[in-house]
Amino acid sequence: MEQQLADLVAKVAALEKSSGMMGTIDIEIYYFWATAFMVLIHAGFLAYEMGASRAKNVLASGIKNILAFAFIVPTFYFFGWWIYLAFPHGFVPSSDGDAGLPWATAMGPNLSDNATGVFWAAFTLFAATTASIMSGAVIERIKVYGFVILAILLGSFAWILACAWGWHPDGWLLKSYGYHDFGCAGIVHVIAGFFTLGVLMNLGPRIGKFNADGSANDLPGHNIPMVLIGLMLIIVGFFGFLAACAILNAGGQWTNIYGEPMTLSSVAFNALMGFSGGLIGAWVMTRDPFWMMSGGLAGIIAAAGGMDIWYPPLAFIIGASAGLTISLFNDMLTKFGLDDAVGAVAVHGWGGVIGVMSVGVLASGYPGPDGSPGISLVGQFVGLVVCIAVGFIPGFVGSLILKIFGSLRVPDEAQMLGLDKAKVPVSAYPESGTAPAATVPAE
Amino acid sequence: MASPITSWEGAAEYFTFAHSPAALYGILIAAAAFVVFAIIFDGIHETGAYKKISKS
Repeated sequence: MEQQLADLVAKVAALEKSSGMMGTIDIEIYYFWATAFMVLIHAGFLAYEMGASRAKNVLASGIKNILAFAFIVPTFYFFGWWIYLAFPHGFVPSSDGDAGLPWATAMGPNLSDNATGVFWAAFTLFAATTASIMSGAVIERIKVYGFVILAILLGSFAWILACAWGWHPDGWLLKSYGYHDFGCAGIVHVIAGFFTLGVLMNLGPRIGKFNADGSANDLPGHNIPMVLIGLMLIIVGFFGFLAACAILNAGGQWTNIYGEPMTLSSVAFNALMGFSGGLIGAWVMTRDPFWMMSGGLAGIIAAAGGMDIWYPPLAFIIGASAGLTISLFNDMLTKFGLDDAVGAVAVHGWGGVIGVMSVGVLASGYPGPDGSPGISLVGQFVGLVVCIAVGFIPGFVGSLILKIFGSLRVPDEAQMLGLDKAKVPVSAYPESGTAPAATVPAE
Repeated sequence: MASPITSWEGAAEYFTFAHSPAALYGILIAAAAFVVFAIIFDGIHETGAYKKISKS
């Protein structure tokens, strides 16, 4: 009898160990593939930007976009992850960040830590997404190395600092104000949108965008179908993004990043309803397929802040409100002399503002986690102001410094000639006659 | 030796040079330096490319 009991205890212990390991591996698998889906966001941004460029600038736009991704990955490894872990309390780093230093034992293959690598990868893709949002707005006239510096400033510094404050279980925006932003409407999209706004103010418009009397010309991209496919790829990738915003707890209920319980089904409901609302809203307003797809994206962004709690038809209405208004917001920017080639400030900046404030207006009263304040209009407004500041100030100041040193804007002659001919060693469409032949070797 | 372990039994961090901080710092600095170099190199290339256009 005693032997049988001992065998039983041993079997239970073995089963518990096996179950625990399976849970750990489930977490790895989940975030690994969520990250893989997020790479589709970048496939989408690549197609989107190249399609939105004129034929003479297609490859230069593609190169710039790819480099945003390429430079975010190492810089986020060098210091981005450390910033997230070290700065949840403000500007003073805590020792919690030590685990994210690039020489920490967790920052490489480690049999006692299955989680850090996949979480780092997911956050790295968030960072690259943030930088890619800026990339489209500045096409056809920004210097690549200036852009790369700004992308690093945005993706591996500014965004992740705000993320530590407002998208971290110990972040001060949560602990002091109950800030709630499930899908990073403010933390990613407002920051990227307003960073881009600051850059556009210093960069200036493309040659030919505005007439002497201030009226604007349309500078259509060379391949609108490519733009539409790119936007749809971004949408697919966003499902990976939103999936990575949920925390898989082995053996327990899902939680959001703040530790509040939720279901992945809530994301399924509300991402689709927000997307649909944004598509229809923009279709009603513009009948333009470019703005329709952008509206769909803005719809998801606008619903993202409360995607874990919305009643789905409300997510639809919030998405529709973004779809109805983004083209108007872009028109307003154009009237101020700003040339946003893809409407990034409207889609991400304005869409993100709706996403943050809709939570404050329509979801106040939800309790916070572990004694943190609940959701409130004031808390969301404070979070929004912080996101705008953390986006706009580095974008404006960083691009101003680059401008002073002549490292921001491509000379007019090169813009007129086309950036592909100026500096790309191959031609986008060598047999079509629409793109110039190669001239300057890459050295 | 690059391997920080001599057996898989009880191994934790097992990435190359995990047992050698000096080697890790050296590799890290080299990687960071390459990132900086690539940005500077592009700046030189772009500036040269635009100057050629201005002259022609």
